[in-house]
Amino acid sequence: MKFQKKHFERRHIVELVIKTIMRLALFIVAGTLGLILWTIISRGLPSLSWEMVSQVPKGGYYMGKDGGILNAIIGSAYLATGGTLLAMILSVPIALYLKAYLGKSRWGDYVRLSLDVLWGIPSIVYGAFGFALMVLLGMRASLLAGIIVLALVELPIMTRAMDEVIRRMPSDLEHAALALGSTKFEVAINIITRQMLPGIITAILLAFGRGIGDAASVLFTAGYTDRIPTSLMNPTASLPLAVFFQLGSPYPEVRERGYAAALILTIAVLLVSFGSRWLAARLNRYTIK
Amino acid sequence: MRKQTLTWLSLFLVMAVTLSACGTAGSAESTSAESEAGASSELSGTLSISGAFALYPMMTIWAEEFTKLHPDVQFDVQGGGAGKGMTDTIAGAVDIGMISRSIKPEEESQGIFWVSVTKDAVFPIINAENPVAEKLMAQGITQEIYNKIYITGEITTWGEVVGDPSITDKINVFTRSDASGAAEQWAKYTGGEAQEDLLGIGVNGEPAMLDTILKDPLGIGFGNLNSIFDLSGGNLVPGILIPPIDINENGTADAGEVYTVKEDAFGAVANGTYPSPPARFENLATLGKPEGLELEFIKWILTDGQQYLEAAGFVPLTPEQQAESLAKLEQ
Amino acid sequence: MSDIQLNNTLKTEGRLSRPSTPSRARTDRAAQRTFFIITLVPVALILIVAVALVVRAYPILNSYNLSDLLLGETWRPNNGEFGFRPFILGTLWVTTVGVLLAVPPCLLVSVYLAEYAHNRTRTIAKPILDVLAAIPPVVYGVWGLLSIVPFVDDVLAPLSERWFGSVSIFSVTQPTGFGILAGGIVLAVMISPLIISVIFEVLSTVPNDLRHASLAVGATKWQTIRTVVLPQVLPGIVAAIVLGASRALGETIAVLMVVGNVPNIPTSVFDTAYPLPALIANNYGEMMSIPLYDAALLGAALVLLVVILIFNILSTLVLQRFLRRS
Repeated sequence: MKFQKKHFERRHIVELVIKTIMRLALFIVAGTLGLILWTIISRGLPSLSWEMVSQVPKGGYYMGKDGGILNAIIGSAYLATGGTLLAMILSVPIALYLKAYLGKSRWGDYVRLSLDVLWGIPSIVYGAFGFALMVLLGMRASLLAGIIVLALVELPIMTRAMDEVIRRMPSDLEHAALALGSTKFEVAINIITRQMLPGIITAILLAFGRGIGDAASVLFTAGYTDRIPTSLMNPTASLPLAVFFQLGSPYPEVRERGYAAALILTIAVLLVSFGSRWLAARLNRYTIK
Repeated sequence: MRKQTLTWLSLFLVMAVTLSACGTAGSAESTSAESEAGASSELSGTLSISGAFALYPMMTIWAEEFTKLHPDVQFDVQGGGAGKGMTDTIAGAVDIGMISRSIKPEEESQGIFWVSVTKDAVFPIINAENPVAEKLMAQGITQEIYNKIYITGEITTWGEVVGDPSITDKINVFTRSDASGAAEQWAKYTGGEAQEDLLGIGVNGEPAMLDTILKDPLGIGFGNLNSIFDLSGGNLVPGILIPPIDINENGTADAGEVYTVKEDAFGAVANGTYPSPPARFENLATLGKPEGLELEFIKWILTDGQQYLEAAGFVPLTPEQQAESLAKLEQ
Repeated sequence: MSDIQLNNTLKTEGRLSRPSTPSRARTDRAAQRTFFIITLVPVALILIVAVALVVRAYPILNSYNLSDLLLGETWRPNNGEFGFRPFILGTLWVTTVGVLLAVPPCLLVSVYLAEYAHNRTRTIAKPILDVLAAIPPVVYGVWGLLSIVPFVDDVLAPLSERWFGSVSIFSVTQPTGFGILAGGIVLAVMISPLIISVIFEVLSTVPNDLRHASLAVGATKWQTIRTVVLPQVLPGIVAAIVLGASRALGETIAVLMVVGNVPNIPTSVFDTAYPLPALIANNYGEMMSIPLYDAALLGAALVLLVVILIFNILSTLVLQRFLRRS
């Protein structure tokens, strides 16, 4: 009987080829990130200056003269902070409720389904909705309107991320606490938050990063101005819109500064992303393994 | 651990409260701008302005200069397009709208009051390496030919434009696909009613239009004064030519019809040689006659503000046009 | 609250008293009620958004019949002509190109990460995917403008003219690099992290026993994947693709910056197009000054919402069933 098979059968060759193609695909995906960062850095860095991040646009900025985009940087900071805080107020209770009270119930499934659906709604639709609301309420484009719409955009992102993390928490801790006489509410705020704090913070910062970078939602609702907003009812500039508007200018110097603004935005988002990772790692000290 | 979280949370809240406190303390809200012009000689308040992207850079310069004179006045200037400016003004969402076109009767009947504050112009552009560039620069192109290129589509080759049937190079016609005052003006000049009537491949945005013509020797398009000319030097952007408009239709491009440096173009627009459209008045609109701070600002734009226009690529009003606008305000 | 149950815990716990059990139970019930009401918000929100858009879009839905709106080809709001067909087709073309470009590499990458990669590779890959997902859309737009549009213009278009000149779907009729292909490439990169992570999760639900059994009878890894793993998770993969498509449908800013924004009916991937989200974003300023324009644009948003909702709900239901198996 012939048991000896050839060493290199066709299927082994196929395996090798497929593996190579896969590695190539991975390389392409990773390489694309490098390409994106490289493009943004190389085109944005020449126009990046201290002036850009420390000054608001002076008159003539849009023709290439002095000033910077501090209005957009601070505007985005306000918008994202406000939106994130507002979303947190709803997000944290929902995530805790899903774990501590609902477990595997049907209502929990509906809520999760709704959150997934909300997550899929593009921010332009939220922006259009916000605009319709603004017209109805007679509101002008303002920081407040932008914050509300951003909160709508961030809510599903934050809650979903939180929920993903909190679900994976082993129930032993919960059960132990319940066995000792804890109420579900106490479990939620004492045990779950403490144990899952890194995950919760990561989710919040994830949504915050999204809030800095989203343009479609603030396009209709937050307006634009060269000043730094001093009250919630002022219109406000935002980094993504600052990039967008500067890129559409007929003056090449302004367009170059648009690239620099894009670089600033990218750096901000990367800082938040890596910062959240670092923070989560540090907070892991306080969790029970 | 909870203490730390609480500390951070309270820090956030403190920051938020401080911010809103700072806000309401000093400046007035951006609702009414007719604040203290009467009582004190020092103007103060906030003016919110939105509208045409064409006027936007100029308005930020005006706002800055005006604030230098009256430090208590603040401005919120937004772009968004002439349509947005009109909408916002009618709705009372802004105090002044920047409108880069003429005001329609329906808008006036909704209470819009307007004055012209400057002139700018749209010019046709071709690539410097166009096969018939020399002939074009010598002969010029009449309005009728433009109509046949852009509106009816009867003329499709460069040969037809210069009257030489042996030249069969196609004309690559470009227009603007984004809502553009420049396109609107060009449409009106070439015989259409609105931007939608223009034929041609739509390009999105002025920078893209310029780029496209720079890359296509057979292309024809149009653009604003301040993107076609390099404003600091005064020359045309290298690679771009303005085919003279044969305004007097005599078959040759006369001196007043050829523009190679910005002074030529400026002059033609200012003294009215260059037709309107495609030259246009840029207007400021308010709901009802302007009073108080709005009035002072607009009056300043019409007088001292005019000195900042040329450097920015806009054409100052002639003394007669100035007087006309001022008189309108006084009525 | 009886005095017997009140413990003075100042010495032991640093606070004055522990709340009694009944009061704790009351807090628990109150919290339960409040939290429950809060969970109503996401469920209600979908309805509220949909209703608001319907209300605002009503004027135009009333004045024209639906087929005229959806199939009409002319878009001249000044004349009262609102034909959405160019925009719907534009959206479909860009999304299809984006998904077609994204799926093969994403499938390969997820399979590699799930089945072949070292742990080390996975730990490097995860942050890379996270960063790709975190990059704001407007930055993708800038990258598209700076890298992809010139690439299409200088490299892909000439190549296509040389090799595929006669094939209409690849014909080059306009001289700029802006267009569906540029938009599709940018979209493909943007939806890749999502598709990769979903397929990866779905693959992780397949129990290792199955894989081991297959390997034990002598199959290669790829044979195992092809014949055992993938067929099992096929619905999940389809769901992942649908999810990616729904994300691509709604992406506004990045596509707007590279797709050309010209309302023609596309016939080639090198044509410019004008997707629905770009229409809404570009014209919000003109909305209120032309009659029915705002209803038209919000109607466009409504169409977008409905389509995305359908895609989303279906794929989420499929995925939820899959992922719950783990």
